[in-house]
Amino acid sequence: MTINTKRVMKNAWRITRDRNLTCLRIRVPGGYLPVKLLPLIQEIAERFGNGAVHITTRQGFEIPGIAFEHMTEINALLTPLIEELEVKIGVTIDQPDQGYPSAGTRNVVACIGNKVCTNAVFDTTALAKDIEKIIYPNNPHVKIAVTGCPNDCVKVHMHDIGILGQVEPLYDAQRCIGCQACINNCHKVSTGALTLVNYKVKRDASRCIGCGECVLKCPTAAWTRGGKYYRVVIMGRTGKKNPRVAATFLEWAEREVVLKLCANLYVYIDKHIDRSLPKEHVGYIVDRTGYPIFKEEMLKNVDLGSKAQLASILNFAGPMYDNHVSFLNT
Amino acid sequence: MVNNNYLPFKAKILDKYQQTELDWTYRLECQIKPIFGQFMEVSLPGVGECPISISDFGEGYIEMTIRTVGQVTEGIEKLNPEDYLYLRGPYGIGFPIESFYNKHLIIATGGTGLAPVKSIINYFYAHPELLKQCDILTGFKTPSDVLFTSDLDKWSQLFRVEVTVDKLDEFGNLEVIPNSCSRKTGLITSLIPEVQLPSLEDVRVVIVGPPIMMRYTAQEFLCRGLKQENIWVSFERKMSCGLGKCGHCKIDETYVCLEGPVFNFTKAQTLLD
Amino acid sequence: MGYKYTAAAFNQLLENLRKKHRVYAPILLKGKGKFSDADLVGYDEIARVEEVVFNQKSYFSPKETFYPITQTLFYFAGDEFKESVVDEKGIIVFLRACDIQAVERLDKIMLENGLSPDYYYERLRKHLKFIVMDCQESFDSCFCVSMGTNTTKNYSASVRYENGLYLSDVKIDIDGLFALYGEQFEVSPQFVETNKQMVQVPQNLNLESVAINPIWEEYGARCIACGRCTVVCPSCSCYTMQDIFYEDNPKCGERRRVWASCHIDGFTDMAGGHSFRRTNGERMRFKVMHKINDFKQRFGVHMCVGCGRCDNACPEYISLAHCIDRLGKEEVGNCG
Ligand SMILES: Cc1cc2nc3c(=O)[nH]c(=O)nc-3n(C[C@H](O)[C@H](O)[C@H](O)COP(=O)(O)OP(=O)(O)OC[C@H]3O[C@@H](n4cnc5c(N)ncnc54)[C@H](O)[C@@H]3O)c2cc1C
Ligand code: SF4
Ligand code: SF4
Ligand code: SF4
Ligand code: SF4
Ligand code: SF4
Ligand code: FES
Repeated sequence: MTINTKRVMKNAWRITRDRNLTCLRIRVPGGYLPVKLLPLIQEIAERFGNGAVHITTRQGFEIPGIAFEHMTEINALLTPLIEELEVKIGVTIDQPDQGYPSAGTRNVVACIGNKVCTNAVFDTTALAKDIEKIIYPNNPHVKIAVTGCPNDCVKVHMHDIGILGQVEPLYDAQRCIGCQACINNCHKVSTGALTLVNYKVKRDASRCIGCGECVLKCPTAAWTRGGKYYRVVIMGRTGKKNPRVAATFLEWAEREVVLKLCANLYVYIDKHIDRSLPKEHVGYIVDRTGYPIFKEEMLKNVDLGSKAQLASILNFAGPMYDNHVSFLNT
Repeated sequence: MVNNNYLPFKAKILDKYQQTELDWTYRLECQIKPIFGQFMEVSLPGVGECPISISDFGEGYIEMTIRTVGQVTEGIEKLNPEDYLYLRGPYGIGFPIESFYNKHLIIATGGTGLAPVKSIINYFYAHPELLKQCDILTGFKTPSDVLFTSDLDKWSQLFRVEVTVDKLDEFGNLEVIPNSCSRKTGLITSLIPEVQLPSLEDVRVVIVGPPIMMRYTAQEFLCRGLKQENIWVSFERKMSCGLGKCGHCKIDETYVCLEGPVFNFTKAQTLLD
Repeated sequence: MGYKYTAAAFNQLLENLRKKHRVYAPILLKGKGKFSDADLVGYDEIARVEEVVFNQKSYFSPKETFYPITQTLFYFAGDEFKESVVDEKGIIVFLRACDIQAVERLDKIMLENGLSPDYYYERLRKHLKFIVMDCQESFDSCFCVSMGTNTTKNYSASVRYENGLYLSDVKIDIDGLFALYGEQFEVSPQFVETNKQMVQVPQNLNLESVAINPIWEEYGARCIACGRCTVVCPSCSCYTMQDIFYEDNPKCGERRRVWASCHIDGFTDMAGGHSFRRTNGERMRFKVMHKINDFKQRFGVHMCVGCGRCDNACPEYISLAHCIDRLGKEEVGNCG
């Protein structure tokens, strides 16, 4: 059997433990799937695979147990799915009947957002799709995730770019009855940005993370929702050497800024990637070039606006497995 | 033009004397003629307002005895004669004083509850002929909480005055209590079985103190065979307006600021918070 | 006298009413819902009749238009007290039959209870004029019919939107403007005669047995004491006074009052840490009893007007209508 593994993998098929079998990866931008596409996934799994799918952490499906020889036929079958999930939202795919054009840049995942969740600051799927449009198809290995609020249910802090919704709470002192529900709640579940002064509420904007808990708890709508903004955290990752939680790059950034950053990331990667390595992961590129160069590239032609706050340093946390880890001898 | 029932008037502090570490009595220049048991809303502008019983009154003045417990009362404590307090009132229903005439009046108080009945005692002290007999049973937490010691001493010249403290303080002595009074330790309820009630029909009881104290004290008197309608209590509730508007003092269909703070026990015992 | 108006004619009417009045109506407050991208129907001044939301019940009640959530009573500077001023404009409010009945309930407390009318309430109340919005169909949570509050005669004018026209029955024309801009037309206001939920209102609750009813424990375990039910209620009247002094000039300050709620912590706190009704179940009982018992004992009508706003607002899905119905059915002994 002869196959070009690089081309197969770029086409979103996998090399698997079983030399004769491959596995198809389907991406669902924003994790929101019209169920009319499920029968197609079912059909592929039943006709060509082993009758099962694996639901991936990246909100896609893997259909295992497919013989390599069916790839072309299945790629053609996938056309309506690619049309619906990618082309229709504006992703440029020249030949949608030939399967996925690339797999390096992963599916953009999103929490359920304000379609359902009471906490959500915005429509996460919509943003995920807009990001997909900008970054896909592309080869660099990049993971982006979008979450509706600082709860971060989708774990954007383990992504190269993580986007968290922030809402600017607006306060109408006339409507406030001083019940302190917002204050107590902010202390309990968030950052303690609120205090009572003269029976009215003061917000310390430097402590507020824009979770909207005050709005949710206020009985009189003294707190309401102002503008939508985003915290952008970067270079979080899993992995062997140094898994780590992403660090804040920007907060109170506007939507346009977020989209521009996603585009600029690819310019940065293209400029700085070490092509002698098989595929250098973006986090390690940033480790290599350092924050100032990264920052400069990312902010090229970006108007940060008046609200956005830019991190002066990247504050990472995570174990270093290439250093010595000491254990208690038992 | 309707009267602005929220605007307080100015009242000069004429005199101020300390009762205990926390309690001060203020004599204020004031022309009102209250009824025993009524209260005033006392303002310290910028800090707040609170209901305070009129503990005594006379020609051109009223007296209030105020325990320092919070923001307003702390602010008041810092004031001195010649300073001003701001008042509105008097509010509420006081004691039906005339129904006590020719009766055996027993006044049982707990803590600062002595303040609102002080004016009644002074009134009968000045007119002892109006009563058959008067007993004063008053309880405090410790000897250092005892209020109105000189009044107690004075009253005991005419009336039987029993003072009890729940427990002794670190000085362990009862000497602060005038020796003209009978000095006891123990809860006020423990005094009641001993009270002489020569003519049960003539007994009228006034009980003022914390809610639990009033409940159990009344219980003891009922055990002694007293009728409910011969017992009066005075309630304390959180109040904001004193006018029957703000709702804070409401219990069932009753507004303590309007129908109280003094209640006949027949009514009081039906009030359910 | 009945009139019909095109939108243009009604807007001219409004424009002229606004010269001497503030005109408030339930409008769609874009993005003001507590969840993101959610709107809220609440009260604000209107300039055009198209702004008025006819097909939904407002989340907040109209009471904030004449009984402000925060109201300055007077200012003080040193020894001087200066009463707050109000503008002498009239207040015209678009509201439902139940809401008008609720204002009558507020009047009972604010004007009749105690020895004298509430000065600050009366100050605005005397400027208040009602435009009743017809209820052609009951909304989901309404139970006005059970409370007997589904109709009213107490209004200056009625209004409903029908086939592109605004129809008004005018009882007391305001400055002759309704007649001026309207075209005579037979109109009688429409009020619902049935609700989707009918509630058995208890007639004679016995406080002692109500107090030991186990339902309060159940409600206590559900209620989070957030106070929303009372804040949205058109007939809740409670408030608390607050004094503040200005940060930049501690000699000057003001006394205000703000709405308060018997469900919220602190309502009965006294110095020394004592408070009454600590459990949320007791507070629920207290509120329910006020709404369907205590008030009536005092004033002869129930306080609750069955607008159902508390049901819509409760984050724990506690339904007052259901609670009243339970008590009513238990009373007649047919709780199945
Ligand atoms: C009819 C009536 C008669 C009365 N007569 C007398 C009398 O004769 N003498 C007398 O001494 N008292 C009397 N009282 C009690 C008196 O009204 C209270 O002690 C007074 O209101 C306390 O006011 P304050 O501002 O000093 O305390 P506050 O500071 O207002 O404290 C009141 C309550 O608020 C709470 N609180 C205080 N500060 C804060 C804060 N910063 N944040 C949150 N909560 C707080 C406290 O826990 C307390 O429960 C009477 C009360 C009534 C109803
Ligand atoms: S991250 Fe926030 S918005 Fe998204 S599901 Fe979790 S709580 Fe809801
Ligand atoms: S929750 Fe709302 S009403 Fe309560 S203190 Fe906060 S802002 Fe004021
Ligand atoms: S208690 Fe509920 S239903 Fe009754 S008037 Fe108030 S908000 Fe409306
Ligand atoms: S239900 Fe509560 S908040 Fe409403 S009026 Fe009654 S006591 Fe006041
Ligand atoms: S709205 Fe519901 S949870 Fe909140 S206080 Fe009222 S009954 Fe309780
Ligand atoms: S103190 Fe306001 S109603 Fe009684």
